[in-house]
Amino acid sequence: MGRHRGLRLRAIALLAVTVALAACTQPPVTVEADRVQGLYNLFLVAAAGVFVVVAGLIGWNIVRYRSRGDASLPVQTSTNLVLEIIWWALPTLLVIGLFVASAAVLNTNDARHPGSPLRVKVEGFQWQWRFTYLDSLVQLTGAPGSPPELLLPVAATIDFQLVSADVIHAFFIPSFLVKRDTVPGVDNHLQLTIDQPGTYTGQCAEFCGLLHDQMRFSIRAVSPSEFATWLASQRAAP
Amino acid sequence: MTTAELQERARRPALAGERGGIVDYLTTTDHKRIGLLYLFTGLGFFLLAGALSLVMRAELTFPDLQFLDEATYNQLFTMHGTGMIFFFASPVVFGLANYFIPLQIGAPDVAFPRLNALTYWLALSGGLIAFSGFLVGGAAAFGWTGYVPLSGPIFSPGSGSNLWIIGLLFAGTSGILGAVNFVATIFSMRAPGMTMFRMPVFTWNMLVTSLLIMLTFPVLTGALALLFIDRTLGGHVFDPAAGGSAILWQHLFWFFGHPEVYILILPFFGVVTEIIPVFSGKPVFGYRGFVFATMLIGVLSYSVWAHHMFTTGVVSNLFFAITSMMIAIPTGVKFFNWIATMWRGRLRFQTPMLFCIGFLLMFLVGGLTGPFLASPAIDYAVHDTYYVVAHFHYVLFGGSVFAAFAALYYWLPKMTGRMLDERLGVAHFWLTLLGMNLTFFPMHLLGLEGMPRRIADYPVTESGWTLLNVVISGGSAILAVSILVLAWNVISSVFLGRGAVAPDDPWGGYSLEWATSSPPPHHNFSALPPIRSERPVFDAREAAGRGPARRDPAEVEVPADPAADQEMDLG
Repeated sequence: MGRHRGLRLRAIALLAVTVALAACTQPPVTVEADRVQGLYNLFLVAAAGVFVVVAGLIGWNIVRYRSRGDASLPVQTSTNLVLEIIWWALPTLLVIGLFVASAAVLNTNDARHPGSPLRVKVEGFQWQWRFTYLDSLVQLTGAPGSPPELLLPVAATIDFQLVSADVIHAFFIPSFLVKRDTVPGVDNHLQLTIDQPGTYTGQCAEFCGLLHDQMRFSIRAVSPSEFATWLASQRAAP
Repeated sequence: MTTAELQERARRPALAGERGGIVDYLTTTDHKRIGLLYLFTGLGFFLLAGALSLVMRAELTFPDLQFLDEATYNQLFTMHGTGMIFFFASPVVFGLANYFIPLQIGAPDVAFPRLNALTYWLALSGGLIAFSGFLVGGAAAFGWTGYVPLSGPIFSPGSGSNLWIIGLLFAGTSGILGAVNFVATIFSMRAPGMTMFRMPVFTWNMLVTSLLIMLTFPVLTGALALLFIDRTLGGHVFDPAAGGSAILWQHLFWFFGHPEVYILILPFFGVVTEIIPVFSGKPVFGYRGFVFATMLIGVLSYSVWAHHMFTTGVVSNLFFAITSMMIAIPTGVKFFNWIATMWRGRLRFQTPMLFCIGFLLMFLVGGLTGPFLASPAIDYAVHDTYYVVAHFHYVLFGGSVFAAFAALYYWLPKMTGRMLDERLGVAHFWLTLLGMNLTFFPMHLLGLEGMPRRIADYPVTESGWTLLNVVISGGSAILAVSILVLAWNVISSVFLGRGAVAPDDPWGGYSLEWATSSPPPHHNFSALPPIRSERPVFDAREAAGRGPARRDPAEVEVPADPAADQEMDLG
């Protein structure tokens, strides 16, 4: 009785897994995030395929080889060299494929851009952020409960310099599908290019003590001309 | 043991033959009693750390802080993780290993019985010390990973943090001593005929696990000692402000921490590989390949630690990506072994087997999200979010805990002489499966939507998060109910003696623990069947069923002299 219900539940669960995981990622809004989304989709297809095959085999076993009160011993097979070679080879090939795709995306996304990007220093401290536009020395400092809003231009390469003066934090913008740690004693960089205007929330992702949950901020991506106007007005202000 | 003695035992309440007084348990060096102490200690910490998680789930159900503040919440998730990893999962592994390694290899006890007792009491003390932080103004609140500089003297000055370090030092020392004991036992105390490649897979996996412990726990204890020096004696090893390193701790911690994950799953691979063949009526398929895959996982586990550090920007991400992904190969092979073991068998779906099926499906999901995290570009997006929380709960709850429940239903009759109630067991299984998926599956989605882990509060403006958190909290309530069902089953069947009396071999088992009484006598075996394959009890049963009972000349007689037992106890 439980058998058929169990199967149907499994089928529904599988469908839910595939649809939900594909639908619920953040819509990518940077050049780099597009590549990550593509890589993620590739992994998802591979994982769904493996799930269908393996769960299907388990399900087949459950249905087909369920004991029906027959007391005789089943055939006592215990090894088959050809089968074993095949099932060592299959995951090996899959892993090689996934690694090659991963390496391609990682090398592209982590490569330093030539030229002179817009440099923004990101300083994590307990428990907020300080953003400094290094070329104009305009500075934005947040406080718990009043998160700062960082204005950035679209279609321009941005170079975040990530530092920390106290403990480890992580600069995380979910929509950009990326985060990087700010580690005391380490100068980290993160480069990206936003291609969709909009407001994107972010927050610290590395647990950093009491008010870690209050380390929120947002990034507002605007057109280059609007950004230039805003920056000039900030520079003019005392 | 004579038939008359067995009948006498059946009339007594369960455990009575072995229970003894409390003093007997405080002073015991018997591997079976120590095993039971470990298992019940682990169960106690499971309830404690589980209760902490229920409090967290209640707080997280809706946005804003309802009844906890950040300071309390941070202690709760730190001690939930610490408790589950060090004081639930490890003691359960050590408990099962203590009880069943000697039985499975036909030995009367472990190699060093008194060291074994010390090992247990160190583990219990460690747990009590770490949790005692709650009594002295606040437990540790920097996550179970204890990252520096946060866990250093400046940012976490409380004594709860020192107690956490000392508790873990006890647990680490206990682990090393226990592992040495298991390795010595397996290498030197196997019964005649029990060659290495006739050992049950659980014992094999415990051998690999013990070697992992011996090589990684010293790194943890060393790192903890350095942190303790930094905190109390003015050291600067992990203090970047004074020229120390904030990254070094992560290297040391994860060089221990990732093998630790395999330390917590390989024994349970072993459990499942004991149970599935028995309930399929077949031998394990590809025994040697399976053992080789276990060894390969053990070796690879030393080369993957920095996949926890992809976002630090200071490690060679591609190197650790390929080594981490390679773990999927031997793990995938194990799945094929399990499937082929069931193939064309006669599958019996009693509770131990149900939990094994649950293990296969849940661990499959946890295993499939692993390669996502091993790919650095994807990890940049989901690292330190609920996606990771979902991943390791599918591995450690869907994997280790499901297999631990399977082991409980499978072996508790052997340990106590009482069967657990089957209907309650089936109810427990379905509730656990439902609760687990409602609790941990939505965490994948939360993580993909960007909710970080370890936050006490989330903004109401993140509209998608609230619904998912409500579902998760509901699922955790179902899990709580499932644990009550299990607890009632154990109490009623074993302690109130309502369970059916367990025969020596209730499941049609294969390995030597089924060749002695339930529970086994103090010296374990009065006689051993001949060991001619990895399934001596199966062979004996078949031989008995096929012809007139004949006595094999190789049958080993073990002296069953009570006086000899006493001497063994005194060491």
